[in-house]
Amino acid sequence: MKTTLLSTAAALALCGLAAQPASAQFKTQGITDTEIVIGTHMDMSGPIKSWGVPATNGMKLAVEQINASGGINGRKLRLVSEDDGYDPKKAVLQTQKLIELDKVFAIVSAMGSATTLAPMPLVQAAGLLHLFPITAAEFTFKMDPSKPEDRLKFNMFSPYYDTMRLGIKWVIENKGFKKPCIVYQDDEMGKNFTDAYTDQLKDLKIPEVTKVSFKRGATDFNSQVARMKADGCDLVALGSVVRESIGITTVAKKLGWDVAFVVSSPSFVPDFPDLGKEATEGIYGVGQTEIFYSDTAKGEVKDFIEAYRKSFGIEANQQATAGYNGAMVFAYFAKMAGKNLTTESMMAALESGKVFDDIFGGAPISFSKDNHLGVSAAVIGQIKNGRWTTIAKNQSYKTEK
Amino acid sequence: MSAHIRTDYAQSDQLFASRASVIAYAALGVLLVAAPFLIESYYLSQLVFVLIYAIVGVAMNILSGQAGQVSIGHAAFLAIGAYSAAIAQKYGVPLPVYLVLAGAFTGLIGYLVGLPALRLHGIYLAIATLAFAFIVEEVLARWESVTHGNEGLMLAAPNVFGMKLGTNGFYYLCLGVTVVVMLAAINIIRSPTGRAFLAIRDSETAARSMGIDTARYKTSAFAISAAITGVAGVLYAHKLSFISPEMFSLAVSIDFVMIIIIGGVLSLRGAVFGAIFMIMVDPMLIVVKDKLPQITDAAMHGIGLGEPIIASIQAGVLRVVNAPGLKSLIFGLIIILFIIYEPMGLDGRWQRVKAYCKQFPLARQRSARPQRMFLKSERR
Repeated sequence: MKTTLLSTAAALALCGLAAQPASAQFKTQGITDTEIVIGTHMDMSGPIKSWGVPATNGMKLAVEQINASGGINGRKLRLVSEDDGYDPKKAVLQTQKLIELDKVFAIVSAMGSATTLAPMPLVQAAGLLHLFPITAAEFTFKMDPSKPEDRLKFNMFSPYYDTMRLGIKWVIENKGFKKPCIVYQDDEMGKNFTDAYTDQLKDLKIPEVTKVSFKRGATDFNSQVARMKADGCDLVALGSVVRESIGITTVAKKLGWDVAFVVSSPSFVPDFPDLGKEATEGIYGVGQTEIFYSDTAKGEVKDFIEAYRKSFGIEANQQATAGYNGAMVFAYFAKMAGKNLTTESMMAALESGKVFDDIFGGAPISFSKDNHLGVSAAVIGQIKNGRWTTIAKNQSYKTEK
Repeated sequence: MSAHIRTDYAQSDQLFASRASVIAYAALGVLLVAAPFLIESYYLSQLVFVLIYAIVGVAMNILSGQAGQVSIGHAAFLAIGAYSAAIAQKYGVPLPVYLVLAGAFTGLIGYLVGLPALRLHGIYLAIATLAFAFIVEEVLARWESVTHGNEGLMLAAPNVFGMKLGTNGFYYLCLGVTVVVMLAAINIIRSPTGRAFLAIRDSETAARSMGIDTARYKTSAFAISAAITGVAGVLYAHKLSFISPEMFSLAVSIDFVMIIIIGGVLSLRGAVFGAIFMIMVDPMLIVVKDKLPQITDAAMHGIGLGEPIIASIQAGVLRVVNAPGLKSLIFGLIIILFIIYEPMGLDGRWQRVKAYCKQFPLARQRSARPQRMFLKSERR
């Protein structure tokens, strides 16, 4: 009896409530006379915590500095950060918590592809901004003209495709290589790299030479390197992350093969020359921001490194800049939006095309009405004496030489 | 544990043990139906995850709790259900249809996975299911023309006969599915099939000598469990609205095993308790993290400590509650304590509390001691 009763009740309720009222398109919350609340969720305890912890620290430091210098048009910035453990289920719940309980003005610099994509529709349905996630997934900035809520998405993380294409283009045009090859990890990231390789060579009208792959987690690269050597490659693009990049360059060195390498953003980190030692000397790399070292840093970067060490007791790294920049870019455009800060005025400020330059010598960041990916340029570096040295700034594969 | 005294064979087939439990479940039903009007959508969202996990818990209970087979690859069944939903939705199949189809298809796969279970036991079976989960994850990542590989798939809002389901509608869908799955599971358990599962769990040799076709029942346990998990996968995919292969990793399979270990392997109620625990502990720890500094601040002002001391203690409190990874640590600790002090799970504790109240002045610690321990699947 109870079951029929229950199911009838459920069915009735289902009919009555199925049609959800259309939510307001844009909504403003989390702004008081004294405060702006923003929320983020990153992985602080799961598989990508080596990104999540420093990036959260970077954000906290940025918020501290923004508030110390008077806040945003008289309002203090308050950051609520959650640890999603790289679990999309937790990310969804935490995003709802941030929206409903903390009443955040925007979600800023949430991390990871699955963990941003699952909760993103909730943010949009609530009419709130989803800003600068630390992932290059296309969904986070590509706009569907038929969906007005897509205007709420902004991203400024360089896609792997872009950095790899630029790397190949710049090195070939400036150093005159003739037979570029690519070795890549056989997964989605690797696919971005091979697409970049194919498209860029087509653009330069150079025939493709050798494309070899390896499985994620591989440790032996002898066959791949031997094959590229036999095919006479003079430039090798590395579609790999640090450990594998080191493995490949070390094998090349061992085989006595003197060839040029170019790496993209996943390997454009200080760890690469630190761990790869002399095998990495002379390698070209492309990334979003310049790589800094605490003993040679100057000016604002030096202050950043010192403040970071003071606050968290550890050395700042590249990942920290991603979070730091997220909060700084937010503050820059929120300031521009003026005292009457709303989601609409913030969007207008973001889409104004005004350029933000970060303290790390990174690519300028600007958005427009039809482009919500705020970064189109990157930095080119080369490893000299075991350290990344910037050799060209503000480069893009889209511009002519 | 208190003994059930039955005076008639028909009593063991009853859906509800007593009139009181009918009333209790009716009250729970009314509360759950009224929930969207009583709580904010953040809590409703937690409830939806609890329902989905409870469905998986029921599946795990049938397989492990009833039939005594182990699986640490159930995330794969969830994935198959989820991807079936996403793909069917793309081709315009209505939700009620693919909800059933995904369940049936996952059940078929579950049947195939069950075949090795005929030869494997205990830890070896666990490894086989684990391998199966890896294979599914890899297939989802490689079969790009269908699954979009690691880029993942987006799902549109669930749509039942032309009506878009909102937050509340989707909650009722999950609630309805949970009730149906629950009733189906209860019916399976009290049917000859369910009795056969129990017999196989307690001793395969004895079961076989009683004329039970162990091969058939073991594979059907896998098929039923997989089908239920597949249905949960459909709901899961819609709840997250985005799926990718990495979302169905080993960690998720372990989560599912935890549901029944924490909840209690012996009863379906345990599946619900386990689901509540797995989903709600994290949000609760977040509440603690957010509120603790205010509470300690008020407490210290209350006992009249000096401002500088308060400030320094407060800084310490803030540092501790914001320490990265603290939540996982506490979560892990709770689980270890559970396994040590409450091997019968939350349901075991619930039964004892109930028994204590019932026998109030006479209840003794020893009367709660289990007569025999479960998990004999290793025995031949």
